[in-house]
Amino acid sequence: MTFEPKILGFLCNWCSYAGADLAGVSRIQYPPNMRVIRVMCSGRVDPVFIFKALLTGIDGVFVLGCHPGDCHYLEGNYEAEKKFIMVQKFLKIVDFDKRIRLDWVSASEGARFAQVVTEFIESIREQGPSPLSGENIDQELFNNLKAMENSVSSDRIRALVGRQRRITEVENEYGEKVPIDEYNAIFDGAIHDEFVRQRILLSLSTKVLSVKDLAAELKLDPSEILENMLTLKSRGDIDYQSIDGNTPLYMRI
Amino acid sequence: MKNLGENSKSVVIIGAGIAGIQAALDLGDMGIQVHLVEKQSCIGGRMAQLDKTFPTLDCSICILAPKLSECYRHDNITLHTLSEIQKIGGSVGNFSVDVLKHARYVKEGVCTNCGDCGAICPVRGITNFFDANLVTQAAAQIAFPAAVPAAYRIDPNKCLYLNYEICGLCYQNCGADAIDFTQKDSILSLDNIGAIIVATGLDLAEDIHTLNIYGYQKYDNVITAMELERLICASGPQAGHLSRLTDGKHPKKIAYLQCIDSRSQKGQMYCSSVCCMYTTKEAMIAFEHDNELESYVFYIDMRAGGKGFQKFLQRGAKEYNIKYLKSKISHIDVDKDDNPIITYEDYETSEIKQLTVDLVVLATCIIPSRGINKLADVLGIDLDHYDYVKTNPFLPVETSAEGIYTCGCAREPMDIPRSVAEASGAAARAAEVIKGG
Amino acid sequence: MSDKEEEPRIGVFVCSCGSNIGGLIDVKALAEYSKTLPNVVFTEDNLYTCSETGLAQIKNGIKDHNLNRVIVASCTPRTHEPLFRDCVKKEGVNEYLFNFVNIRDQNTWCHQKYPQEAFEKAKDLIRMGVAKAAKLEALDNIIVDATPTALVIGGGVSGMTAALSLANQGFETHLVERENELGGRLKTLHKLFPNDQKAQLLLDNLKKNVGSKENLKIHTSAQVKNIEGFVGNFEVSVEENGNNINLTIGVILVAVGTSLFTPTGYFGYDGKIRITQHELESKLNNNDVKAKDIVMIQCVGSRNDERVYCSSVCCMTALKNALVLKENNPKSNVSILFRDLYTPGTHYEDYYRRAREEGVVFIEYSPEKEPSVEENQIKVYNQYLGEELLIPYDLCVLSTPLVSNNDNKALAQMIKVPLEENGFFLEAHVKLRPMDFATAGVFICGSAKWPVDITESISQGYAAAARASTIISHDTIEVEGATSFLPDYNKSLCTGCEVCIKVCPYNAISKNEEDEIVITQVLCKGCGVCGATCTNHAIIIRHFTDQQILSEIYAYGGKEV
Repeated sequence: MTFEPKILGFLCNWCSYAGADLAGVSRIQYPPNMRVIRVMCSGRVDPVFIFKALLTGIDGVFVLGCHPGDCHYLEGNYEAEKKFIMVQKFLKIVDFDKRIRLDWVSASEGARFAQVVTEFIESIREQGPSPLSGENIDQELFNNLKAMENSVSSDRIRALVGRQRRITEVENEYGEKVPIDEYNAIFDGAIHDEFVRQRILLSLSTKVLSVKDLAAELKLDPSEILENMLTLKSRGDIDYQSIDGNTPLYMRI
Repeated sequence: MKNLGENSKSVVIIGAGIAGIQAALDLGDMGIQVHLVEKQSCIGGRMAQLDKTFPTLDCSICILAPKLSECYRHDNITLHTLSEIQKIGGSVGNFSVDVLKHARYVKEGVCTNCGDCGAICPVRGITNFFDANLVTQAAAQIAFPAAVPAAYRIDPNKCLYLNYEICGLCYQNCGADAIDFTQKDSILSLDNIGAIIVATGLDLAEDIHTLNIYGYQKYDNVITAMELERLICASGPQAGHLSRLTDGKHPKKIAYLQCIDSRSQKGQMYCSSVCCMYTTKEAMIAFEHDNELESYVFYIDMRAGGKGFQKFLQRGAKEYNIKYLKSKISHIDVDKDDNPIITYEDYETSEIKQLTVDLVVLATCIIPSRGINKLADVLGIDLDHYDYVKTNPFLPVETSAEGIYTCGCAREPMDIPRSVAEASGAAARAAEVIKGG
Repeated sequence: MSDKEEEPRIGVFVCSCGSNIGGLIDVKALAEYSKTLPNVVFTEDNLYTCSETGLAQIKNGIKDHNLNRVIVASCTPRTHEPLFRDCVKKEGVNEYLFNFVNIRDQNTWCHQKYPQEAFEKAKDLIRMGVAKAAKLEALDNIIVDATPTALVIGGGVSGMTAALSLANQGFETHLVERENELGGRLKTLHKLFPNDQKAQLLLDNLKKNVGSKENLKIHTSAQVKNIEGFVGNFEVSVEENGNNINLTIGVILVAVGTSLFTPTGYFGYDGKIRITQHELESKLNNNDVKAKDIVMIQCVGSRNDERVYCSSVCCMTALKNALVLKENNPKSNVSILFRDLYTPGTHYEDYYRRAREEGVVFIEYSPEKEPSVEENQIKVYNQYLGEELLIPYDLCVLSTPLVSNNDNKALAQMIKVPLEENGFFLEAHVKLRPMDFATAGVFICGSAKWPVDITESISQGYAAAARASTIISHDTIEVEGATSFLPDYNKSLCTGCEVCIKVCPYNAISKNEEDEIVITQVLCKGCGVCGATCTNHAIIIRHFTDQQILSEIYAYGGKEV
């Protein structure tokens, strides 16, 4: 049987959902692979939603909003973009970022809606089924994505992305953006660290492990593991459980 | 929403373009009953035809559609489409108005906008004003898919059944039983009308006789700005992929000619106010479809006084490859490949030059809504020497008749924000009559 | 609020829409499928659910099966949700317990060659809709009292017009003017274009009308000192002649106008024989112009790198003063050096033509070769002739732009609205909401927003009055219940990080005296950005809650993760 991608779309009410309706009214045809969740604004799409969707085994997630400057709520689509880019950065770590896409479709772009949806479906078709779909899922990938979900759910990452626009953008009349390169460097570091920490927490939630064990399990350098574990310990998330010979074992609190 | 009492006076608004809609929404939101009278089969007027708007490049229908449905749904607004004013009586605070309602032959609340009637209708080739007459439609028709009201209509001049009592296919094909050939034109008499607002908007001078020195309709690659607007619109006849009507080629060089019959002894003496800006907008949208596009704007004075307009022009020149040429057009020919050749006098060097392009776009003159003379007679209001509704500079929304107000392009060519502002202004004056008693 | 204990009893109505849905997919089978879903107690298919028959079927379904949630699977919520909401409401089901599933516009119409896939898609969408419906909560519209009073800040032509219109509509209106008398810029003008009426005449008329309204309170030598509260309920303190007055205000109109630009360093400006148009008008008022050779220069200090914009009134002002000078002394020579003459529309273009006919000389210059003003003559390069012209003058008049007031920023902060890059006030939407601010209950008119002439200042004054009236025409302000919400039981989650305050475009979120986050629900438009951003998941977006959206995701994904 050929692979039919299972796609979830988040559409904002005012532009992209209207554009999707217009595609219908104009009888423009596109493949029937996407299911739509209507939100009032693309800015409503919590990063957690995207991870949850991928964790259920959905093959691709599409977020569609108003074109920059067209947002019914002034600038919700910019907020959506910031969050989306963050999710992308996380997924890039495990080479899963091509399974999500953000685009803009206006209420007059019925044909464009059909086009971008078709393109996304085809892109997912080429990538094949999600390793998280079906009976035998890739458990390591699942754990990684779960750690990412926990990361985007954490106050540290949420505060960083929530403040991003204020930090990096000079607001002007037409909402033009300025490059965010400098900010990105700090942000990339924070994303990586938080991911590692959440991954450690996830591993320690089921068993007691040493730094070496964790390094092996997570395929990371022990010094990086240790550094992040110190942070977790200072946050009060983990503690020593026992000492096995000279090796301390850790547990999640 | 709390409203004024049932017996309170209402307001009649003539024209349901963006100005009429804004005035209706403001009055409706104040709790005042409004009758919104529109001669077309749907509301939205000229703004609904536009792809994007300057200087923000907002998608026009995206920002307009919520207002259309709000208007349609509003408890205090009664919409009368396919309708015109036939007679008025009384005076300020107590007008009576007779509205001639043309039959739609489709039950508005029942039609599901599925299009089965249009698909089966054997009468074809009727031009659609909404698409600048670039495409044709059936006698069972709707101006555009997202029209409000979302209901088809039967063109009584073309329908076989209405004219010869043959056919009736749409009636048989309509699953919703929405087709009703028994509908008749009718007169609706409205009493207790406190005030009237004239928001009849604009038409465009696209008459062959005055435009033919530019080769319009002689050369297919000379089109009007409204035609271009539809051609580059994502929901237009070419789904936004601009190509020449002669050979389907994507234009690489477009010339935009300003003041076509505006500021001209041959046409109208006045300035149409919006062409400098919409031309820049159209050139920008066209560029977004093709980043190799070159645009040339031939102009007399660049008129960009509104908010953010100068910056918009700068962006056009810097980022969208638009060249502005202060010039006077002599005439237009075509070469053997139908490419227009513009002969013009360059005002910077006072030389005669030529430029060959793929497409010429004419910024045609805005003129008063056709039918304004008749309406002015019915209402008893004065028009100015250009046939716009006459106003006093310091009573900008008052007509010559007390209790009758005006706004937007009915009184002078102007852009959308100003039309919207004036519409609210006219609503305030009407509200003063009704609330101040 | 809903009784949380109540078990969901969901009814699903599947519309055939004639053949638009039913022609491609089996709606009866869809209805049967819906019956198998959790919490669904009744399903039915209708030929047209939106017809009177269809609506009656919904009502009967609610009655006969005690439904407390209703789903319609048909066209699109964008056109038909209000109809169905209304229908269930009439049968006693809260309108927010209705859920729409789009199986026509986004399904059968787009997959006409794939009936089987479209059927499966409809099943998924209904399953998702049912999952969300089970989590839906009844909501009430949010209603707050509104005080039917208006405050107009600025007593120039726009502010006076707005105040007068509001007073004429019967509202108690307060007009606050900083100076000791009303009039603003109009006080200093000589004549007005395009009919050459005396400015004083218009001013006297306006002042008379404004002064004759009992419900219009004029506060001169007064300044707004502080504004607290929100739409319908602003607490404003005004200092008038040193006394403090406290007002409770429903709506605020900003009509603070502009400032003048002094062109020091431009074209030898000296305020004596090289003056501004504004100074010329004072001289004309005092009958103090003796000059015979007058040269006016346009775009002085505007349309340059520092001030990119066109001030839009200067060309007409120059034409007007040129005509006055010509009329006063037909033998005088008046030249206008311009870049692009800005006389849009019908009457202004007529006016331009009249000036030409009266013998005013127009000479174009380009910004690359600006005119140079010397002791007794002005040199200007004329591109068209390709040569430099020498024009003698005994009065040089510089057309300078209107600029934003320096204290706009302080006012903007007080009313929580933005300014654009030139310091003018920035409206909610440049195109369709020209008189509104994003902050509810605050409006803008006249040149404070952007330089405009008297005609437009008047129409904008009326316009802002209309927009304000839409609010204070009612005793209460009512907004939809689908807003963001910080419930008491979530207050402990809030870390006070204030990110929500920063992302809210409507200033609906603030901190109170106890340093707690407060959402003013009547200001919320329900976009949900704050909820998606909240660092500790404390804010709930009603009708689009995390649980509701996750239930849709899980229903599609097939499992909870």
